[in-house]
Amino acid sequence: MFSNLASRLFHTTSASSQLIKLTRLRVVDNSEIGKQAMLEGKPPRIIHIYNKSGVGYIGNKVLVAIKGEKKKGVIVGCKKHQIPRAPKFDSNNVVLIDDSGTPLGNRIHVPIPLMLRTMLKEKTYKKGTDYTKLLAIATRFV
Amino acid sequence: MSLTRTLRQGLWQNIVSARKNVGDRNLTRMISSSASTKEAQKAEEKKQPESSATDLMPAPALNRARFVYPEFLPDPKMEWRNLIREKLERSDMMKRRRNIDIPEFYVGSVLAVTSSHVHAQRKVSRFVGICIQRQGCGLRSRFVLRNIIDNLGCEIEYYMYDPTIQKIDVLKLEKRPDRELLYLRDALPEYSTFPLDMEPIPLPEGSPVPVNDIKVKMKGRPWTQKWEKKGLLGVEKLEISQKNLIRMARAAKPWEKHDLMLEYRKTIPEEEQKEIFSEVYSELHQLELTRRKMKRKRMFVKPVKSA
Amino acid sequence: MFCIRRLASQVPNNFFFSRVSFIGTTQSLSSQQEGAALPVKKRFQFPSTPKVRYPLWYLKQERVKYNERLTDENKAFIKEIVHDKYGPPAIISGIPSYQLNSPLKTEPLARGEWSTATRRCGLIARKIGVYPMWDKKGNQFLTTLLQVVDNHVVKYIPPEEYKPILRVNRYLRPNKYGCLIVGAESMDPQNYTKQYTGLFNEAGLMPKRVLGRFHVSPEAAIQPGTPLYATHYRPGDVVDVRAKTVDRGFQGVMKRWGFKGLRATHGVTKSHRRGGCIGGGSKKAGVWKGKKMPGLMGNRMRILKGLKIWRINTKYTKIYVQGPAVPGECNSIVYIYDTILPLRKTYTKPAAFPTHYPEEDEQPFPEDLYDEEAHGLESPTIFFEEEK
Repeated sequence: MFSNLASRLFHTTSASSQLIKLTRLRVVDNSEIGKQAMLEGKPPRIIHIYNKSGVGYIGNKVLVAIKGEKKKGVIVGCKKHQIPRAPKFDSNNVVLIDDSGTPLGNRIHVPIPLMLRTMLKEKTYKKGTDYTKLLAIATRFV
Repeated sequence: MSLTRTLRQGLWQNIVSARKNVGDRNLTRMISSSASTKEAQKAEEKKQPESSATDLMPAPALNRARFVYPEFLPDPKMEWRNLIREKLERSDMMKRRRNIDIPEFYVGSVLAVTSSHVHAQRKVSRFVGICIQRQGCGLRSRFVLRNIIDNLGCEIEYYMYDPTIQKIDVLKLEKRPDRELLYLRDALPEYSTFPLDMEPIPLPEGSPVPVNDIKVKMKGRPWTQKWEKKGLLGVEKLEISQKNLIRMARAAKPWEKHDLMLEYRKTIPEEEQKEIFSEVYSELHQLELTRRKMKRKRMFVKPVKSA
Repeated sequence: MFCIRRLASQVPNNFFFSRVSFIGTTQSLSSQQEGAALPVKKRFQFPSTPKVRYPLWYLKQERVKYNERLTDENKAFIKEIVHDKYGPPAIISGIPSYQLNSPLKTEPLARGEWSTATRRCGLIARKIGVYPMWDKKGNQFLTTLLQVVDNHVVKYIPPEEYKPILRVNRYLRPNKYGCLIVGAESMDPQNYTKQYTGLFNEAGLMPKRVLGRFHVSPEAAIQPGTPLYATHYRPGDVVDVRAKTVDRGFQGVMKRWGFKGLRATHGVTKSHRRGGCIGGGSKKAGVWKGKKMPGLMGNRMRILKGLKIWRINTKYTKIYVQGPAVPGECNSIVYIYDTILPLRKTYTKPAAFPTHYPEEDEQPFPEDLYDEEAHGLESPTIFFEEEK
């Protein structure tokens, strides 16, 4: 019984550094739901990635399952190996947003990549989702 | 019978003498700063140059160049080598070095890189961090800086000869006993935390680059790699289970350190190293001297006459 | 057999010398058939190398190096003669070769007028490695270095005389293009057969290690003996590169065609890398033609089209073309052509037509020519303008 439990505590397969469906993320803004989920030790899981490859990169929109709810978020940092001059982080970070692109929190506690400034601006259309509000609540760019 | 025995003996002696010679050369061939770097350097300093006729540059200068400018040595993979391409690559590297000052630094040194960045608001970004990896050769040579900012580990890789880099400052010049410091990812955060406004710590002129023998404390498992199997020198002693010990003993390849061909394929021969560095070393040395002069100028502040 | 007959009827009389040796003689085949009562149908075997079609100028190149028992004096004498005739041995851009000052023996060809339908000569080069470059925006990209060594025009065959072996509609229309034979890398004539060295006599050249054939319009013909340089092209031009791909030997379907293979588990035995089914049942019966199967991979001539030239080194005659994907291994031979892609090629007169003649330049070229978008490392650090 004990050995069975112990074997469940760690993975025997190597960790995938890609962001795919069911990957756990870290919420880095101060939204209520995100804070609670992180404190409870139940970080959100990706249940959909809004791009064609199905692998999430910096700046991609994702759908996450968090505390029994479905929320949208933007990936703002990856563990995955990056190209030169793009930052690589120690955790997979996400900022929760609502359908109109407004972040659920009002502060991001960690540095976010500089290239998001251009990427999110390019994604924003006049009548579509406005992602640039996310940039306004960031404290530091790397 | 006696004939075969004598023959065999002769053969053995030949092999032994050959190994001795090559062994000496191997020491001189060490490129990367591995654990035995210091010993190798000491052995080098003691050794006298064998033949003066083939000497294109003095041995101490070559020894220094090999560690200070490792990216000038090409990839030793035979199928990819081409002398002319290497020469052109070197000349391009020198062109870049005439534009900006790429200082001497090692894995374990703390650097600050200021670079033009299209996405930044002021079009400039600056990153401070400890160099945890240096890889590639020629124009592809690159290094990785790591720092912990707002309690989150960040790493950025830079091409050394990237024309968008405006300035590379060495804030703290030192070495570590390991070839790569990738284990800092799984170490406690204080070992890779450096303030973004860190003041440069000057090294007295002419003093050798210090080796930092700090023993890093690791976080609890899980780790990104099996560090206990790597034989790291800069880490506090890691526990290895009995099972892993047996596995390691089974997977060990103790003969590899005697494999001369393996060594030969991994390294650029010393004679070629001499040729390569004799081509660029004088100019590199000049650039270094001017850098030192500039540094001294910066350090010496003219006293202002008070009223 | 087929090949020889065709050749013999087409080749100009003075082109071949008395004895021409070809691989694959007819004798062995006929003797086999005589011995057996019935012609035994030979089982098809996959060719170990791709089919070789020898071009018109094919002659046995390398000589058997038997012992000639020459005294040292005689050897020195031969060397002296070679030296007197062709000049001293030289290393041209890193490859042992000979410095050549060709005395043009025949009367110079008149230079033609360029039109949009004109097809220019190409170059023979060596792929010597992959090399990073940066553009003005600070982006890094990879380029392949092609080294043009000692290229000379060896022979020009006008369209009337030129009858290539394989030409579609050759009975319908007259030949539009002539043939320009170009050689690269001069070698010591002692290494080659008399016939082969004879090819170069007319142009007054040394024997070349590599020969190549370019189909050119008659107005783009170049006088034999003329050297070709990397400045035949200019940065910004778009070229096609033809070369032999890396020889990978006999490979399975997963590597050769990118099949998925079968499962690793779930009862699959000994078939993890197999292709699976190769044909249908009942009426379809049999294997479809062109079915992708295991076989020899690579070692074929392939053309990579539409490569932009980013930089040209005039001193070492090097061309930096876009991308790391030029076929073949490092240090292998490639042929460079003007691109045929209709949207990429230029419809204006090229800067060098029919080729670049450096003696006609008012000023010598600088060592490095860059494309407008490329950033040379000698130019200062890139700064971006601040947003307003």
